[in-house]
Amino acid sequence: MSEIRLDGAGYGVAEREILRPLTLSLRERRIGIVGRNGSGKSTLARLLAGLIAPTQGAVKVGGDDIYADRKAALARVGILFQNPDHQIIFPTCGEEVTFGLAQQGRRDAEAAARAALKSFGKAHWWDRPVGSLSGGQRHLLCLVAVLAMAPEWLILDEPFAGLDIPTTRALHGRLAKLEQRVVMISHDLAALEGFDRVIWIEGGAVAADGPAGEVLAAFRAAMEGVGDDHTDLAG
Amino acid sequence: MITLTSPVETVFHRVPAGVKLGLLCVATTGLFLLGSLAGQLAALGLVAALYALPGARFARAGLAALRPVALFAALIAVWHLATGTVAEGAVIVLRLVSAVALANLVTMTTRLSDMLAVLHGLTAPLRRLGLRTRPLELAISLVIRFIPVLSAKGAALAESYRARSPRRRPGWRIAAPLAGVALDDAERVAEALRARGGLSEGAKR
Repeated sequence: MSEIRLDGAGYGVAEREILRPLTLSLRERRIGIVGRNGSGKSTLARLLAGLIAPTQGAVKVGGDDIYADRKAALARVGILFQNPDHQIIFPTCGEEVTFGLAQQGRRDAEAAARAALKSFGKAHWWDRPVGSLSGGQRHLLCLVAVLAMAPEWLILDEPFAGLDIPTTRALHGRLAKLEQRVVMISHDLAALEGFDRVIWIEGGAVAADGPAGEVLAAFRAAMEGVGDDHTDLAG
Repeated sequence: MITLTSPVETVFHRVPAGVKLGLLCVATTGLFLLGSLAGQLAALGLVAALYALPGARFARAGLAALRPVALFAALIAVWHLATGTVAEGAVIVLRLVSAVALANLVTMTTRLSDMLAVLHGLTAPLRRLGLRTRPLELAISLVIRFIPVLSAKGAALAESYRARSPRRRPGWRIAAPLAGVALDDAERVAEALRARGGLSEGAKR
């Protein structure tokens, strides 16, 4: 299995530094990322998926530069966006799942896409217009589309935000069974409880990094002590 | 969200897209060659029969999709009534309705990917010249996917305008914010495309 390496990887826009240079080596099966709004979590997710290039340093997965070498990146990392409507590109479920596979250069893209939907018990979704799916179903479609491409790593940027409890539980159940390595950004601390490693990002830098129990406890304690004037609302 | 392809499975779905598009070309040419009122009426009757074939539910959906044509038909009818060329006007209106209805029938019963496959075949000579045709195919998909998305965003903006305004219709006032939303969406789609391989030619079909 490949390893994600950040070597002094930072990201800034104009004068503003969003993510300070980070040096991390990610190889655990389940990694959680916590942090407050605006701490740089989503930027980190985009760096890990190769959607943006670090403005300094390097991000490599299994030795591949995932920003420059997109062909290699597709086999290395898949990303599930926070909002499925930002991820779904095509009008029908079948086309949505086929797209990534065709981009990977697979000649059997359509057959593989059908198999992917079938493996989730959704073979009948093939011709279904994406607009007719419910919120939870759209999340599931995005997950099917990404997993069909069989990446080694799956990056999840606050997945399932806004879904009801049973739907969230069902989707987490699916995630738990994945053989993929997972990096999950979440505000739902309970969902990260059993993870191998949790990284707490604060102000674009790592505030804590270690076993889930320790980091989550420290994060929870810190967050409960935050007064109103230190929230996202101040300023 | 509105979708162009009908979820009701019909016999027309099983006809290959290339054949349907070919027949559509022939039929439309025929409609333009047909000058008699009786002939045009018969043609419209035939088109109506095609819509009725898969059942009432499909026919209703088809009729709803044709609503925008009524406006143009009415405009033409008014013009011809005013100029006193009623018979001529009737032929033009009937021809317009039949032609658009046939095209709509093909749209409703053909999966986008099949339509794109035909386009892919037709643009093969361009690829031999070294031109990239993949962006063209993707652009068509994106338009179809995002027209309803943008109209929903427009409706949401109008709603949030109404929630804080005594006026019922925001009109042009939401034009600028809607443009902003569209640009924002474009950026996100670009990211989603990049996440899954971008605009590369992909697999050979």
